[in-house]
Amino acid sequence: MIKKVVFWVVTIIVLVFVIGPLLWIYLTAFKAPEDIFTTELKSLVLFAPTMDNFSRLFTAYPFWMNLANTAIMSVVSTAVVMVVSVFAAYSFARWNTGGGHLLFVTISTRMFPGVVAAIPFFFMFRNMGLIDTHLGLILLYVYFNTSFATFLLYGFFREVPKELEQAAMIDGYGRMQVFRRVVFPLILPGIAVTTVFCLIWSWNEFFYAFLFTRRVARTVTVLISSFWGSIEVQYGPMAAGASITVLPTLLAAWFMQRYIIRGLTFGAVKG
Amino acid sequence: MAEERTSRLGNGAQALEGGRKPTIWEVLTSERYFKWTLLIPLLLLLGAFMLYPLFYCIYYSFHEWGMQGKAIFIGLDNYRAMLYDKGFLLAMGRTFYVLVICVAGELIIGLALAMLWHRDFRGQNVVRGLCLLPLLVAPLVLSLLWNFMLEYDFGAVNQILDVIGLGKVYWWSPKLALYTICMITIWQWFPFSTFVLLAGLRSLPRDVFEASRVDGASQIYTFRRLTLPMLSPLIMIIIVLRAMWLIRLFDPLYGTTRGGVGTELLDWTVYRTAFVYFDIGYGSAFAIFSLFLTILICALMFRQLMKALGVIK
Repeated sequence: MIKKVVFWVVTIIVLVFVIGPLLWIYLTAFKAPEDIFTTELKSLVLFAPTMDNFSRLFTAYPFWMNLANTAIMSVVSTAVVMVVSVFAAYSFARWNTGGGHLLFVTISTRMFPGVVAAIPFFFMFRNMGLIDTHLGLILLYVYFNTSFATFLLYGFFREVPKELEQAAMIDGYGRMQVFRRVVFPLILPGIAVTTVFCLIWSWNEFFYAFLFTRRVARTVTVLISSFWGSIEVQYGPMAAGASITVLPTLLAAWFMQRYIIRGLTFGAVKG
Repeated sequence: MAEERTSRLGNGAQALEGGRKPTIWEVLTSERYFKWTLLIPLLLLLGAFMLYPLFYCIYYSFHEWGMQGKAIFIGLDNYRAMLYDKGFLLAMGRTFYVLVICVAGELIIGLALAMLWHRDFRGQNVVRGLCLLPLLVAPLVLSLLWNFMLEYDFGAVNQILDVIGLGKVYWWSPKLALYTICMITIWQWFPFSTFVLLAGLRSLPRDVFEASRVDGASQIYTFRRLTLPMLSPLIMIIIVLRAMWLIRLFDPLYGTTRGGVGTELLDWTVYRTAFVYFDIGYGSAFAIFSLFLTILICALMFRQLMKALGVIK
């Protein structure tokens, strides 16, 4: 009995600790400045909700445009990444192409510190006029998502039994047909999970977006970070922007519970 | 000649009649080359996006270049200067310090919660689902959020501490700031350890634990001698993966201290040198150094990781 009480007390404390800050974003988003900058604990929780932050965010800042930028770049880069990595992962999983070395090289790109790529790309992009363009950032996102996606898909492809493919080959299917008609349908859940993960990585990305965009291609994370200026900090619009930006990832986290650990460990732990 | 080719190409080329040359498509999808065909896009991408930056970064690191004029070749001077650069060495030490604190904190909390939640209880899916939420939220947004919540006067945390009677805390003072950043990072990532270890606990064989219980082993003994050793491959995975992420910590700094009050970490130093002071050569040397550091750390633990990932046996 005491054990049960302790169990629930600890669990609830942990939950408050985890969820509290996330809820705080939403609470702050609906607060007027005087409720944000108050030293009275009561009015931190009990306040008259207002939509001012949102309306200021929508009118005074290019929020929707920046959000659209993020969405466009996430979707396009993810599409490219998936085409490249589905084929590559199939090759690695079925034939162990390159004897594990190539796969090692692939995963090691993900371990490269972002700055190693940032410096050369910055000057290359500057010469090619790709700074502050959608294309430039899409290329960078393709670069940093491909190795991850290949690895995650690799795990899913390995679960497809070889015998199925051999049976199909005996029935007279060519390699391309086997892939399209036998393997691809079996791998669809894996493709869905990998796609969502790539979308989230690009969606949340800040470092490259911060270095490589200015105005035209600015992403929403960079916009939100700009509210934390050196002169004044605009917590209201910041929270309003964050509350909308974070929503898709929160939904994904909730609905993909089963796959999150698998994704974050590059497929090493099935979760 | 034709027969030889047909037999070598196998399935894909069997349909060929007589001595007709196979089309490119047939060669590409033939039994022999198909695996390489599938890899072409990836190899092109790796060549362009991995080798090119690596080459240029190494090239710049041997030069002095301030974005204008010609780069001057200075050999190993950048690397030599780096060894005497107090700021850089401090940043490196700090990065390791943060790495150790965060990994240790995440593992301890993670393991404790994994042991706690390794059972069936009502609402377990809700509890687990809620705990996963911070993992996928943008680190930058979270750092701004914590920056706000830990503000001295108006921050929610300080006000709660004040009411409880613990008094307000200067979270961003030079003394505490580094630990505050560790705390934020641990807060976001402890669920990762928890859930990896939960998955591990679930896959452990039950009969061993049954046997040790029958033999009258104490719970602490069972934990130390059975649970912990069996979880060690997973703990290794957590350490390697987290070390990889932590060595590049950038977003939490940007949202909070911006490298001030004694919180400058490795990646921030590189960023500042290359993109604020535009000392490209020196910055490149830093970047190359930090790359080797990452590779070194990973090489030490990589076999474990690759084994766990099933790449090697």
